[in-house]
Amino acid sequence: MSDKENAAARRLRFEIFRFNPEDPNSEPHIDVFEIDERPYMTLYMALNEIRETLDSGLQFDFACRSAICGSCGMMVNGRPSLGCRTLTADLPETIRLHPLPAFKLIGDLSVDTGTWFREMAERTEAWIHEQQPFNKDATEERMSDDIAQAIYEGDRCIECGCCVASCGVANVNPDFLAAAGLNRVSRFMMDPRDKRDDADWFEVVAGQQGVFGCVGLMACADVCPKELPLLEVYAYLRRRILGSKFLSDRSDPPPDINT
Amino acid sequence: MKILTNATNAVDSKVNARRQIVYELISGGTGLALALFMFGHVVLVGSILTGERGFDWMATMLEDYYIAQPTIAAIFALFIVHAIVASRKIPAQLDERRRMIALAKGLKNAGRDKVPSRRDNSPFVPHLESMLWIWQVRTGMVMLVLGSFHLVLLGMDIFTPLFGDHAGIESSTSLARVAAGLWLPYGILLLCVEFHASVGLYRLAVKWGSGFLPHRRHLHRIEQVIFWVVLGLGAITLLVLAGVLSPPLEFLLSEGAS
Repeated sequence: MSDKENAAARRLRFEIFRFNPEDPNSEPHIDVFEIDERPYMTLYMALNEIRETLDSGLQFDFACRSAICGSCGMMVNGRPSLGCRTLTADLPETIRLHPLPAFKLIGDLSVDTGTWFREMAERTEAWIHEQQPFNKDATEERMSDDIAQAIYEGDRCIECGCCVASCGVANVNPDFLAAAGLNRVSRFMMDPRDKRDDADWFEVVAGQQGVFGCVGLMACADVCPKELPLLEVYAYLRRRILGSKFLSDRSDPPPDINT
Repeated sequence: MKILTNATNAVDSKVNARRQIVYELISGGTGLALALFMFGHVVLVGSILTGERGFDWMATMLEDYYIAQPTIAAIFALFIVHAIVASRKIPAQLDERRRMIALAKGLKNAGRDKVPSRRDNSPFVPHLESMLWIWQVRTGMVMLVLGSFHLVLLGMDIFTPLFGDHAGIESSTSLARVAAGLWLPYGILLLCVEFHASVGLYRLAVKWGSGFLPHRRHLHRIEQVIFWVVLGLGAITLLVLAGVLSPPLEFLLSEGAS
């Protein structure tokens, strides 16, 4: 395998962002580490090797090492990627690692995506809204295969935050729901079990923090490690909001400014 | 659902959301109209390719039937409205712009370096669209200046005959102007317009049509074809206007000339 030979021959130079916000003496800086590349090496393996052999204080997050937990998102040479899913063979010899922007920094490469996603879920009330009291004896409502598939597609999101980090709008406007949030919204909008109608969704989807805050940079779809159809989700939301709400609901009572 | 608002922006979020839709529709609609007009514009100015007679015939016809006067007024209005509404998404603070530019550059450069061991299906491919947007902002700024100048100049050409004895748009004046030095601002304007318009159409198609229009890869390819074809036509037209090139299609009209 030429892949293997190349990989074995290289010595990788890691330039890693270091900063501990908890430590008043810590200054943001770049540390350089060099290790030998091994066949099929991922950033997960490389960072563990650096921590074991070169610097035990290096902070980074990993849990599942198989692109399902979403904790190892980081900026790899300027592009958000999952550390566990990124092969060093795809990268040049110099690899620059930064923490994901748009999230609170915990230290070095570790960021707090959890708070962002929790806030997003609370704002969008990301759970099924059922109007009727639960009846344990009733049979479950049927759902068409197409809808089930579409919902499943949106549910594949692992909340790694790569789309948020790559989004120009989310980087300058912390309120923006970004692809992860709007993908979640569209998943509940499609779900027939969720009884919220378009009027309920209108403000959160159509406002500046929703789909019409999007500039159309398309980076979210390009960096998504799960290759979710984010552009399709955005277009779906735009068309649905425009078609159902704006055209049909112009006779709303005037809004109360004080609320 | 909770909407984050602050005290200075205590407008009902529903009103605000509806306003955002209107802005989006106006910026997209005016952009679409202007882009389509610019492709028609290439054809109109392209009449110089058939020589001065063709150009003057086109100009006289558009002015005598009062097509040119309302058109330029409408285009000026669309131009201003588009500038106001489409610029709403440009971050106000320089630091925010720097942040966006740095992000876009990083995404563009990731995957650009030659790595022999990189797999064919590597996710590390350059992402261009963020940088394209930043260039749309830049070209938009240039067009605001040069486009206004061009619209005022041509507006004077078109409207003064209504009041005085000026002759309207004339090939002799246009040729002399461009040759005298206007080729430079017009060249820059041409490049900016075609880039801004073709990328804008591409972005508009992806924003509203993803899912039922052709895949984005194909839309991007179409955008590039439109850009180069229209830019090429425009460049040839500009060269003819500057007197560098003789009108390549002059034979079409000269054969029937008495």
